[in-house]
Order: sequence, then C-alpha cells, then structure tokens
Amino acid sequence: MQKEIKQTWFFKQTPEEVWDYLTKPELIEQWLMKTDLQPVKGYKFRFTFTPKTGSPYDGIVDCEVLEVKPFSKLSYSWNGSSNGGQRTFNSKVEWFLVPKENGTELRLQHNGFLLPEDVLNHTNGWNSCLKRFEEFINTVKI
Amino acid sequence: MNAQTLDAFQVIADPSRRKMLQLLSKDNMTINALAENFDMSRPAVSKHIKIMYKAGFISITDIGRERYCTLKQDGFNELQDFINYFDKFWTNKLKKLETLLNNRIKENLP
Repeated sequence: MQKEIKQTWFFKQTPEEVWDYLTKPELIEQWLMKTDLQPVKGYKFRFTFTPKTGSPYDGIVDCEVLEVKPFSKLSYSWNGSSNGGQRTFNSKVEWFLVPKENGTELRLQHNGFLLPEDVLNHTNGWNSCLKRFEEFINTVKI
Repeated sequence: MNAQTLDAFQVIADPSRRKMLQLLSKDNMTINALAENFDMSRPAVSKHIKIMYKAGFISITDIGRERYCTLKQDGFNELQDFINYFDKFWTNKLKKLETLLNNRIKENLP
C-alpha cells in the first residue's frame, strides 16, 4: 500500500525562478490554489478552493510553514477538514529544488496521511496489517 | 451506545482502533477475545468496533453465541483512494505549472 506521494518534475528555469512559483501567492494562485502563504517558518496560512458539489471537504486547507531553505527546500503541514470542522487528515508537503545543468529538478513529497507519531512506534504491527491486507486483496477473485 | 460515522482517517487516528486492526490482521477474533487486550470497558470496545464496522474496516459474523470480527478491505481502500486522489491532484497542478513556465520561456524569446 502506497503511504506517500512522491513526484519528480524538471523545469528549464533556475531554482530561483521555480522558488517564486512555490512561495509567491500571486504566482501560486495561477497553478495551485488561492493562498496567503509567506515563506517564513511558523507562518500559518491557508489554501482555499471551491469544493465540488457533494464533497465532504469544506474548501480550506490549514497549513503552517515548517521549513524554509531559500531556493532549495520548502515544507508545510497540510491539514484538511470537512464540513463539520472536524479535522480529517493531517499531512505534510515538502518541496525540494535541485539545481541541474539546464534547469531545476523539483521533487514533491506529500506524506504523513496514515502516520500520526504514535503509529511510527508500531510500524511493524502496522506493516504486517497492511501486508496481510495486500495478500487479502491479491487472493480475492474477481 | 451510539457510534458516530467517521471517515477512514478519523477511524485510524485513534490508537486503540489501530491496535484492534493490528490484532485482527493476525487473526479473526471474537469481540470478547479482542476486548481482553484492552484496558477499557466492554461497551467502550463495542463502540470502537461499531465505528470500524461502519467505516468498512471490519465485518462481523455471528457464529453460535459469539460475534467474530474480520478485517475488511473497504476501509483500507478508502485510504488508498484518497492517496491516489492526491497523487493525481498534484500531477494535474504540476502540469499546469509546467505549462505556465513553458509559456514564460516563449514570451521571453526575442
């Protein structure tokens, strides 16, 4: 079972230019969502979107900047909530910018969905649970 | 006792429920046998079981006088669907970013 998201992209721009698109609200808005992000550690901000009809989510992602290394790394918490205001998932988004000869490699990691801290202490148990779960799926005849 | 309907993430957010899922991953168990592993009242255990049942993490079968709990895949599928959803979400957004940045290069050409 996949527990995190990892993607790698390549852009022809310099890390400085790509960084702008990750940290300036007026640029972020053009490709991601509306936000009031500031690249300052500890800064609390939001992404907002219009939820689809029937979606349980309320169109707000609450975030806090966790790490800022200009032009090389940015990470923030990513906490979604549903209509009742109940927090339904806590996760973390990390951006890594790696300078390359002709541009920038941008790596995204979005993880932490299943693993609040105390699960990490039970990794073995959880793994075996998921392993059995995988076996279970694989043996179910369709 | 009323059990709220929780989504998959809320279900696994609770340490007791995670431990129950872990125990059930090793073997099917009766509610009584499961309860023996926890320092909580029987109604409290039942409440957790109801929550997991409603969210599709377990099924309950009556055999004789006993109620057996078995791990069920629906709840886990919901977690996986959610992660797949976000994977696609980011792919779409980053494609948009790629287009934006490519257009910028064209604009800057003499």
